[in-house]
Amino acid sequence: MSESAPTTAETRRIAEVARDRVRFEEEALELSDQVFRVARRLVGSREEAEDLVQDTYARAFRSWQQYTPSTNLRAWLLRILTNLNIDRGRKQQRSPDLQPLEEGDYFLYNKLESTLPDENPDEERVIERLSQNAVVESLAEVPHDFRDVIVLVDIGEFSYADAAQILDIPVGTVMSRLHRGRRILKQHLAEKAVTA
Amino acid sequence: MGCGCGDCESMMQPYMDGMLSDAEVDEAREHLERCPPCDKRYRFEEHLRHFVRVASVEPMPPELRERLNGLRTTQPPA
Repeated sequence: MSESAPTTAETRRIAEVARDRVRFEEEALELSDQVFRVARRLVGSREEAEDLVQDTYARAFRSWQQYTPSTNLRAWLLRILTNLNIDRGRKQQRSPDLQPLEEGDYFLYNKLESTLPDENPDEERVIERLSQNAVVESLAEVPHDFRDVIVLVDIGEFSYADAAQILDIPVGTVMSRLHRGRRILKQHLAEKAVTA
Repeated sequence: MGCGCGDCESMMQPYMDGMLSDAEVDEAREHLERCPPCDKRYRFEEHLRHFVRVASVEPMPPELRERLNGLRTTQPPA
């Protein structure tokens, strides 16, 4: 037997790594629907989202050993995805001027409510005055710094802490951008609300 | 809508996002019980958030799933 022949321990270790890698790839692929859902709303078009998800998985499969087992794999994948998205050189966007808090926060509700004939309608019926398109379009119009946190927390259902880690910003910034972002979103929704 | 008190303003968002401690949740609930305008706004926000989540979902294209499977470096065990 030559000196370079692998020992039993080494062979076993190699087999273990191979098994871990298979498991990693399967777990990552199981999350692809959720990763796509978030990606789709982070960027403007479906094609961009598909490319971004594909690049994310290519990188994840290459650097799989950087992932710490039994931590949040979905957050790890989204961290790669948002970094790739930023690397693609998206432009800085200015945050729009907002209406004063009082108006900004109640404007949407009041506007929707005013389209219904009955007084004091059920909240669910008020929401029905919005269309699916209005939501998609309004979200796309929110400047991306704010949109990122809305998409991660409201659509991806990530915690503040996970969103902070994914975007590499403090938790306090997640909260303030979320607050402001939701107000911007509501402002856009109000503009698109059915007023018939 | 709105009671104009600063407390609910700062509490509403973390409350809806499930980020408050148990004691703070109790406090927020108590406030909502006492304040119909806030309660109404809270329910509206909750419905709105749900609507945004549901309305923004686009199913993953099957071709993308194929492409991702093609990126695998390992083969699933037989």
